[in-house]
Amino acid sequence: MPAAAAIKVMVVDDQTSMRAMIRRALQDLGFKDIRDKAGAGEALAAIKSDRVHLVISDYNMPDMDGLEFLEAVRNDPVIGKTVFIMLTGSADKEVVQKAAALGVNNYVVKPFAPAALKEKIERVFGELV
Amino acid sequence: MRRVSIVQGEFHVASQEGVVISTLLGSCIAACLQDPVARVGGMNHFLLGEPGADSPVTGVEMQRYGVHAMELLINALMQRGAQRSRLRGHLYGGANIVAGLGGIGTKNGEFARNFMRTEGIAVDRCDLGGTQARKVEFMPFEGRVRAMLVKDQPLPAALRPAPLAAPQRTGELELF
Repeated sequence: MPAAAAIKVMVVDDQTSMRAMIRRALQDLGFKDIRDKAGAGEALAAIKSDRVHLVISDYNMPDMDGLEFLEAVRNDPVIGKTVFIMLTGSADKEVVQKAAALGVNNYVVKPFAPAALKEKIERVFGELV
Repeated sequence: MRRVSIVQGEFHVASQEGVVISTLLGSCIAACLQDPVARVGGMNHFLLGEPGADSPVTGVEMQRYGVHAMELLINALMQRGAQRSRLRGHLYGGANIVAGLGGIGTKNGEFARNFMRTEGIAVDRCDLGGTQARKVEFMPFEGRVRAMLVKDQPLPAALRPAPLAAPQRTGELELF
């Protein structure tokens, strides 16, 4: 069972309140190394220079959206296998299908409970301790 | 003039002249946001999750409804050409109408103020709290708002805070 504290996470959302809420939820799950960015472009640059194990990214963002971000991550030879969980709205079925085709590891529909986020992370990493 | 009425859980965005978005509020919040340059605006109507005896809810769980409601409105505005940095807002509602609900109206109001501060959205007018329902009318193109207290009327059922509902899972795909 992986220790949450050993998993480095990058949270990407253009809304400060959402990033803060996800950060608090992750801290409650035992995560210690949590970085966050407001935009996918700066997040991509950050995880290329300092790799993380898990990216949690919103879909609906200006400039580069979540699908473009996912594609850029998957096409990178160094960080291409980083676990990627997408945050979507309830009406974004098409987005989820496109994300699946691009290799997303899982997705969470907003508004989500911390338990839902935990469940989706554990489906990829296994039960967290 | 075209009138659009919204209820709890809804929002509406418009960029045409003469549109009026209206709602009736009790302890819920209506945020009216406008980009005065793009001349696009919108209003939502939301309630935080309400902690109950058989469904204890943490602060994070309560806030997720409000954060999501605000995000939907802001995203819709940006899709119509608004820029986040230009948004200006008005906040209404947050009344404590029904005794014994632990001041849910006050909590809703605090959330709304904190959200606007955290997101750096200027608040031009804030009419929160009290014990009376409000009727709010917002003209998104013009950026004008009219808020009236609703006096001496029994509280419509639609304004009573709804019990905490589980997040809707409709539309979720089982791919993983």
